[in-house]
Amino acid sequence: MAAPPEPGEPEERKSLKLLGFLDVENTPCARHSILYGSLGSVVAGFGHFLFTSEIRRSCDVGVGGFILVTLGCWFHCRYNYAKQRIQERIAREEIKKKILYEGTHLDPERKHNGSSSN
Amino acid sequence: MAHAAQVGLQDATSPIMEELITFHDHALMIIFLICFLVLYALFLTLTTKLTNTNISDAQEMETVWTILPAIILVLITLPSLRILYMTDEVNDPSLTIKSIGHQWYWTYEYTDYGGLIFNSYMLPPLFLEPGDLRLLDVDNRVVLPIEAPIRMMITSQDVLHSWAVPTLGLKTDAIPGRLNQTTFTATRPGVYYGQCSEICGANHSFMPIVLELIPLKIFEMGPVFTL
Repeated sequence: MAAPPEPGEPEERKSLKLLGFLDVENTPCARHSILYGSLGSVVAGFGHFLFTSEIRRSCDVGVGGFILVTLGCWFHCRYNYAKQRIQERIAREEIKKKILYEGTHLDPERKHNGSSSN
Repeated sequence: MAHAAQVGLQDATSPIMEELITFHDHALMIIFLICFLVLYALFLTLTTKLTNTNISDAQEMETVWTILPAIILVLITLPSLRILYMTDEVNDPSLTIKSIGHQWYWTYEYTDYGGLIFNSYMLPPLFLEPGDLRLLDVDNRVVLPIEAPIRMMITSQDVLHSWAVPTLGLKTDAIPGRLNQTTFTATRPGVYYGQCSEICGANHSFMPIVLELIPLKIFEMGPVFTL
């Protein structure tokens, strides 16, 4: 997905593409979701089999568990990832503002100290 | 630019492209799960011993396989529409550049602060310097500032062309007699490549687009105006 790394840059992880198209190594949250989904699938399928001894139905439960757990982990992880990106963007903007306006009346720190002392 | 045999999207250089990559990851995960389910259903069909040639009713299954795809489509549509409307937001551009497609080169006009107009031809292989990119490098690049909203007005002088820069998430058709508009804000400096994306004749593959994005401070000193 990215250009070849420059010297000194960390190497991009070798891509592993599930079903030939889902790059789990380089897509944020994908590896985490698939791993938890697999674990959920094994727990649900095996647990169902222990209670019922039905193989085919347990496989169905396992597949269903995989899909549900993967989706759940995916949405949860992506939501937190989006929140983190927004916070990083805000922090970057604040650092830039601080560097630009330090010592002037627009200094964010001065404004913040002024409002807290009031 | 893309590296050899690259299939995936290029790294984002604008906030819109970041959103597009996020949406792409989201849609791809849903597609993967659907493919997995279909593969499993296929496996079950091939390995079952149960056969009944007289099945006529399957109301519950039909309800499920109508409602579930509708829910999946809604899950995909909502983020898609959000990004669609985000790309159309008006954000008070600092600079307007006009890009005119010809057979087979681009003309760029910087008319905001003067009357700079120039053509951008692909560098023929014989004129390439060591390190230049074959079929991508041009004689005159489009030099633009980063972190400033820029408006591109795109049109064509002859046939249909399309002005595309994948890393910025841009692709806008150049239509003769019509002015199309696209806006973007680049977040990192660098040289970014694109290619004409609408078939326009024999040399359609040989009219690339090269953007050179530089810090605003350096752009203001006027390097783009000293051709």
